[in-house]
Amino acid sequence: MSLLGIAWRNIRQRLLTSLLTSLSLALGVALVVATLVTGGLVQKAFESGSGLGYNMIVGAKGSPLQLVLNSVYFISKPIENIPWTVYQAFLPAIARLDGIDGQFAASTQTAVPICMGDYFRGFRVVGTNAAMFDRLTRGDGQPFIFMSGGNLRDSDFFDGVLGATVAAQTGLKVGDPFAPTHGADDGKVHDPFTVKGILARTDTPIDRGVFVNMEGFYLQDGHAKPVDSVENGEHATLENAVDPAAASPAPRYDHDSGHEPLPEAQREVTAVLLTTASLPGLPAELTAMGLRTAINEGRDAQAALPIAEIRQLLDLFVRPLELLLLFVTALVVLVSAIGILVSMVGSSLERSRDVAIMRALGARRFHVLTTVLIEAVLLAVGGGVTGWVLGHLLVGGVGSWITTNAGVSASVFSASPVEALLVPFLIMLAIVAALLPAIAAYRTDVAKWLQGPG
Amino acid sequence: MPRHFEFCFAEPHRDTRGGPNSTPVRFFVITPTMPAPVIELVNVRKSFAMPGGEAVNVLDIDSFTVAQGEHCALEGQSGSGKSTLLNVISGIMRPDSGKVLIDSIDVARLDEARRDRVRADTLGLVFQQFNLLPGFTALENVLVAMAFGSGRPNKARAIGLLAAVGLADRLHHKPAALSIGQQQRVAVARSLANRPRAILADEPTASIDAMHQQQVIDLLRTTCTEQGVALVVVTHAHEVAKQFPRRVRLEDFNRAAVHPAGEARI
Repeated sequence: MSLLGIAWRNIRQRLLTSLLTSLSLALGVALVVATLVTGGLVQKAFESGSGLGYNMIVGAKGSPLQLVLNSVYFISKPIENIPWTVYQAFLPAIARLDGIDGQFAASTQTAVPICMGDYFRGFRVVGTNAAMFDRLTRGDGQPFIFMSGGNLRDSDFFDGVLGATVAAQTGLKVGDPFAPTHGADDGKVHDPFTVKGILARTDTPIDRGVFVNMEGFYLQDGHAKPVDSVENGEHATLENAVDPAAASPAPRYDHDSGHEPLPEAQREVTAVLLTTASLPGLPAELTAMGLRTAINEGRDAQAALPIAEIRQLLDLFVRPLELLLLFVTALVVLVSAIGILVSMVGSSLERSRDVAIMRALGARRFHVLTTVLIEAVLLAVGGGVTGWVLGHLLVGGVGSWITTNAGVSASVFSASPVEALLVPFLIMLAIVAALLPAIAAYRTDVAKWLQGPG
Repeated sequence: MPRHFEFCFAEPHRDTRGGPNSTPVRFFVITPTMPAPVIELVNVRKSFAMPGGEAVNVLDIDSFTVAQGEHCALEGQSGSGKSTLLNVISGIMRPDSGKVLIDSIDVARLDEARRDRVRADTLGLVFQQFNLLPGFTALENVLVAMAFGSGRPNKARAIGLLAAVGLADRLHHKPAALSIGQQQRVAVARSLANRPRAILADEPTASIDAMHQQQVIDLLRTTCTEQGVALVVVTHAHEVAKQFPRRVRLEDFNRAAVHPAGEARI
């Protein structure tokens, strides 16, 4: 019988105490694992939004963080809309009715408009155009992939594209109709759109989006800018923005349904997702900085850098919160380790007699010391592994909720690299906790414990 | 192997009849010798410090030996130093002075770890309280003893030992599920686990009824005879002691036991 076998026997002899000790350790570890994994997922969720192929967001003035949270992550409410002319300032001559390059066209590689305010079964409805999926990427620099169907087309006003989570949750398939609601889930029901395509999973907020052709979006009740405000010239424009055809209808028609597009003067966008270009002789970073400054100096809109905003959010809020949670759960593990100490010290009287017997049978002091330490390590490994499994089951249990709400895949198998250090750390902790009872066993007075009354 | 005979080379005998160049003839002489003692105490002294600082002599033994395969009953009154003597022989305690030769190894000169090793390999201990490990089965109690010896734990031998003491059908019972007599049998089997040269039994019958007393003594003596193991049984029961071929009173060779100061119970 090896020392490991002896230690295992000792644990089984005090089964209830051992189980309770391990259980308390397991719960602590489960909390740590759940915190680590969900913390990692939250971070991943935020970081995933910073690689969607655009490096700047232009929206209404206000909090740049709110603009990013709303436009990238579909969290929080839009600040306000910005005039159509602001969007047009980024368009080249070929994309404009007036045939003149927009003010910032030279600094712009891609400009994708988004319009928000509608919902479909809890998911954000985003009015946009085909450039969203043609020109932007799905987070890792790769083009978007359609699981079924295809992209929006400018001429089909009432087409929609669903993110993977939306399709999975709603069960909608290509060709199915769906009707967004205005402002909230219980708001006024708009005209139905038709599912044109379903995107493959991207593990980004895109998975939770319902994307409709903004031409159809504009034609819904409450989406057109009131005519009187157009007439009164209340709509703001970027300085020097040239748009002589603003009041004329766009030359695109939905021939199948006979719908006419909303005149540009009645249009607004919530934000514009921009990929900046390098101006001749200037590095891309400087071009972006110059563009950002120029936009922010105007009175109509602000430009936010999503990566910078997210980094700031992570540094100022998410990571400290995660650290705080980790600290609390580490304390739980520490208390559990002290539980090992208490359990072992509590049984030291019972152990002394066993130790004396083993010493009389020829066990060296080193043997009994090692046996006690092995016992502690077995408890730590048992509790640690159980806790690790429990933690992952916990994450798996709330995985679908995380997937739906955070836009990242969370399952039983989601892991954090720090987990690899957890069990070795626990073993170290258990050894430290068991040193006191181990030394007590080491110093057991054999003669005293074996002496009978005779 | 018992060392009852000694082989030695004799001086070469030259056959003078063959002339000066004749080849010397070599031959062996086999001389009978006394078997070396398994246990030998020489001038052993042991004292303890009392709370007042006064030293109390417990052992003061000029000589005490137990031969290979010898069965010896060691009688003594309470406080005569029986337990201390067993602890000194088994290496659990170190004497203040003197030699404690176990199978010709002076354990009094060894450090604690080596004394533990000698105890595990050479001696088997049977206690008054049996001292089985409560969380271990009968078989595991024997295997645990093997774990601390020089050899590898041998399950087949452990089962054989338990079968030899009549417990073949109780291998996987824990001590609480065994009768007193059965527990003592496990203790006897355990003491033989590492093929010891001697078994030290400290009042092995004190905690059991009269019927089982005789069974335990018979078991110890029979097993030790079969295995050629020396047996030292400490007892204060005359009916037990009188069954042994050698009876020794501790007071007869431990001067501290009859000294007034030695009356203190240690």
